[in-house]
Amino acid sequence: MAIIHVNDLKPGMILIDSVYNQQELLLLEKDTALTKKRIWILKTWGIKRVSVKGKPKVDGKTAIEIEIESRETIEKELKAKFEDVIDDPVMEEIMKAAQRQLLKNLNDQDAENKPT
Amino acid sequence: MTKMPKTNPHDLSRIIDRVEDLPTLPRTVLRITELVNDPKSSARDLARIITDDQVLAARLLRLVNSSFYGFPQRISTITGAIVLLGFDAIRNLLLTTSVFDLFATRKKASVFRQEQFWDHSLGCAVGAKVIGNQLRYDKVEELFVSGLLHDIGKIVEMIFMPEAFKEINNLVKNDNILMITAEEKILGYSHPEVGRLLAEKWNLPPKLIHVILQHHQPSEAGRFSFESAIVHLADILCRSLNIGSGGDNKMPPLDKMAWESLRIRPRAIEFILAEITKEFDDISLFITYTP
Repeated sequence: MAIIHVNDLKPGMILIDSVYNQQELLLLEKDTALTKKRIWILKTWGIKRVSVKGKPKVDGKTAIEIEIESRETIEKELKAKFEDVIDDPVMEEIMKAAQRQLLKNLNDQDAENKPT
Repeated sequence: MTKMPKTNPHDLSRIIDRVEDLPTLPRTVLRITELVNDPKSSARDLARIITDDQVLAARLLRLVNSSFYGFPQRISTITGAIVLLGFDAIRNLLLTTSVFDLFATRKKASVFRQEQFWDHSLGCAVGAKVIGNQLRYDKVEELFVSGLLHDIGKIVEMIFMPEAFKEINNLVKNDNILMITAEEKILGYSHPEVGRLLAEKWNLPPKLIHVILQHHQPSEAGRFSFESAIVHLADILCRSLNIGSGGDNKMPPLDKMAWESLRIRPRAIEFILAEITKEFDDISLFITYTP
């Protein structure tokens, strides 16, 4: 588990705990994969830090382990979701294409976050 | 043997009896729908109605200036927006924003659920538009609205039968099944049928009613099976991309006949998914759900 400042969150990271606002209204449920918009929601509700899956690096740089866990989670979640329909070759094709797209989203965000 | 649905207080016929209580569209949108259907009406007539409603006017301008439409110059007047987009597109846009309001005014348990549901609807709308573009369908605006409204029956369930809706959600969660399966078990009918009631009450065009009713079995949608197939596929693609959630976390089976009717090459799926991701990111920041 890593506790991350909202400014360091990236799409694809997975929340360990549900996040509530000050009025205890549920904002994001645990196990949710973050997206740009969900990170924006956390920011607009003034959330400072959240816990996400993965281990932070000691030097506090980009946590590579978090990414690996995010990638594994993408694959695992897709497989669970497609479990009943995977015998259909078209659905299998859709699942594979979706996996590539979700990984691409993760990579694109990495590129955006890298200092130039 | 045909399985008879169990009789319960949420009988579909009872919902029909209460059809007068179903949510109504804002008066402005109804007036606009009338105007759009009247061949004598002009862009100026339409602009007058829209500018009377400041919230609607502001929202419309914000949307037409979003990257979703990609106009090179800034559109600063309602008349300009109408001339550029056309009557039908404006009506669809306003229908879109009104449906957002419908979501927002209802008390519900969590911001999370609403946002997820919203994203799923918007994702399907974007998905249907992207697929329509890919297939060179000429009325992609209609597809957008169809995608947006395809699950509207779930909102009616949420408003009219909160207890049963809760039960459905628990069943979905505990048995890890599709929402439509849980609805059949608990109610004996499901959200497409409920959605049709609302769509009929709103006097929506027959095409839209058919898509709402048949988005899980598009090949049964008769003359609108092509449009229904597009929304059916958009629903599946959005689920695969984790764009929001319509209440369950499973993939519905693909209607084979519908898929074949679309004649999409499997190779094109990747491109369509990339386009959906890009367009959804653009539009969701503009018409985002705010609790």
